[in-house]
Amino acid sequence: MTAFPKNRKRPVALIFFVLAVVFVIFFIADLLLGSIIIPVKEVLFSFFPSSEANESFRTIVLEFRLPKALTAVFTGAALSLSGLQMQTVFRNPLAGPYVLGISAGASLGVALFVLGFSSALAFGMFSATGAWSIALVAWVGSFLVMMLVLYVSTRVNDIMTLLILGILFTSAVTAVVSILQYFSSESMLKAFVIWTMGSLGSVTKSQLMVLAPAIVAGTVLAFFKMKDLNAFLLGEDYARSLGVSIKWSRVIIFLSTSLLAGTITAFCGPIGFIGIAVPHICRVLFKTANHLILVPAVILTGSIVMLFSDIVSQLPGMQTTLPINSVTALIGIPVIIWMIVKNRKFVSV
Amino acid sequence: MKKEKINIELKHLSVGYGQPGEAPLEVLTDVNLTAAPGEMVALIGSNGIGKSTLLRTLSAFQPWFAGDIQIGGKSLRTMHPKEIARIMSFVSTENIRVPNLSVFDLVAYGRFPYTNWIGMLSAEDRSIVYEAIEKVGLQGFENRPAMQISDGERQRAMIARALAQDTPVIVLDEPTAYLDVSNKYEIFHLLQVLAEEKKKTVVLSTHDLNIALREVDKLWLVTDGGNYQGAPEDAVLNGWLNKMFRNKQVGFDEKEGEFFFKKKFRAKVKVEGDGLHLIWTLRALNRKGYQIVMQADPDFNVIVKEDTWLLVANDTQKEFQSIYQLLAFLE
Repeated sequence: MTAFPKNRKRPVALIFFVLAVVFVIFFIADLLLGSIIIPVKEVLFSFFPSSEANESFRTIVLEFRLPKALTAVFTGAALSLSGLQMQTVFRNPLAGPYVLGISAGASLGVALFVLGFSSALAFGMFSATGAWSIALVAWVGSFLVMMLVLYVSTRVNDIMTLLILGILFTSAVTAVVSILQYFSSESMLKAFVIWTMGSLGSVTKSQLMVLAPAIVAGTVLAFFKMKDLNAFLLGEDYARSLGVSIKWSRVIIFLSTSLLAGTITAFCGPIGFIGIAVPHICRVLFKTANHLILVPAVILTGSIVMLFSDIVSQLPGMQTTLPINSVTALIGIPVIIWMIVKNRKFVSV
Repeated sequence: MKKEKINIELKHLSVGYGQPGEAPLEVLTDVNLTAAPGEMVALIGSNGIGKSTLLRTLSAFQPWFAGDIQIGGKSLRTMHPKEIARIMSFVSTENIRVPNLSVFDLVAYGRFPYTNWIGMLSAEDRSIVYEAIEKVGLQGFENRPAMQISDGERQRAMIARALAQDTPVIVLDEPTAYLDVSNKYEIFHLLQVLAEEKKKTVVLSTHDLNIALREVDKLWLVTDGGNYQGAPEDAVLNGWLNKMFRNKQVGFDEKEGEFFFKKKFRAKVKVEGDGLHLIWTLRALNRKGYQIVMQADPDFNVIVKEDTWLLVANDTQKEFQSIYQLLAFLE
């Protein structure tokens, strides 16, 4: 609630400075490391067209690694920010970006397209249209769910009802997807499974032109709702008695979350645990419940964690990469376990 | 900080819940109650009668079916949430479970309706927050985590938050639930002082009837048979308190000013003696279900002397050193 009270125990500005330094280091490291390791000098040269950089290095850095690093930053920031908003609005420490069923909606879109629609048509058509069509159907799926959630949230007063509806919807979609999987061919199944593993590298420069504005828009909405998010911490009765228009505030926050999580899921697949773990890391780091600090903190920390996950997943110096979803799970889950053990009980948010 | 002092009026108000697909459930109908500035009002009634519903409706948390709520002559229905937040603050029974939230931060929530879009506190806001913390006696607690203070202290912090909101009306839903007796009295006293000094209208619901009867300016009584309002003493003299409970075994003793449970008497007993020892012996026998009689043929007699109790029944006598021994023998 209060903006940087004088007598706060944690040196907020110092922590932000350290995080910013770590962010820059990880961002550069993500450009340097990969299946081949590019010297620092060459990476710097590639940004200046006139300089005598090695052309193949320049292509790798500008066409592949830079879009991937930027995608990692957007992904980490977006998922963490939507996770923070959901934990606060639902007052539930295990809420994440996907509680509203957004990833389920995206999965359904992709499953229907890859497993259902494409099997009716020639399979070749799907591979021709490529990654854009998968992103498009995932986006359509998650935004249809978002519309449904927003509609229901203006009619249902009780926040727990929304949470339960989200869980039920996710289960129903999982069931439909299982049926589709059961009846689909091996190659289609593989295409779908690869999507569920998530990928930062598949995002092209042109897709980034769509992804970036959507994430920025979702982030701006979240910034405008920081004050209301603080009020939601005390529960809806108190928020209302402080003059917050609950329904409208909730709609804007859901819109922000859906934009952030829906867009990322569409382009990168469902990436788990970042959205749940990062807000908790920030609460421990800053020892605060104030969203004026937490919102910028999760954006920065989420980017760092995602850059780190990306560096790990490409196994520097080797020819193979790990699925990003497994890496984030292996990083995120220990953090959550550590926090449960450390706090003894997982009290609220 | 000066604000217009305003009245609360509930006119033919009907409150309850809408149920999807069914007829709406009316909890209370035709409620007519008023409160004036500087008054501390206790809303009392039996469990489940609709006290919370009434307070939630008064706080604009839920719509009502019929009638009107007027605050300062203006209908609550026409007010914007932001406007209501500057007129009425609310303290609920819900526990605050936010880690890393200091008492200062918690009280500073009260400034929410006055701060800018990111909630930045001005110097004036900060001094109002400190003043509110001091008013409820929590100086030195500013940096303590709100989750790690006692229930009584947290309730005081919540009242400080309402104070910082600087509203002419404060509504509290059972502010003394879960508190020990001394904390209950402290909270009532604090609210009484606030109502009187700052001329605020304080409306609270409570089950601590004995304390409410001594501390509040006015009772709002909701019963199955209708609603009453007036000074606590009016309620006693008019016999309203006896109508409060559906359970007819609970009654109100107008002389003692206390509620009691009507028991079936197991025997008649006549007691002699004087002073405190007599009073507490009578209470003990009453508690155990013995009817105290003055003349008419008692089943046995108890004579209270200094620190000894003499039981006389059918020519036999027995002496006891404490009330506990006496009661144990009677069992």
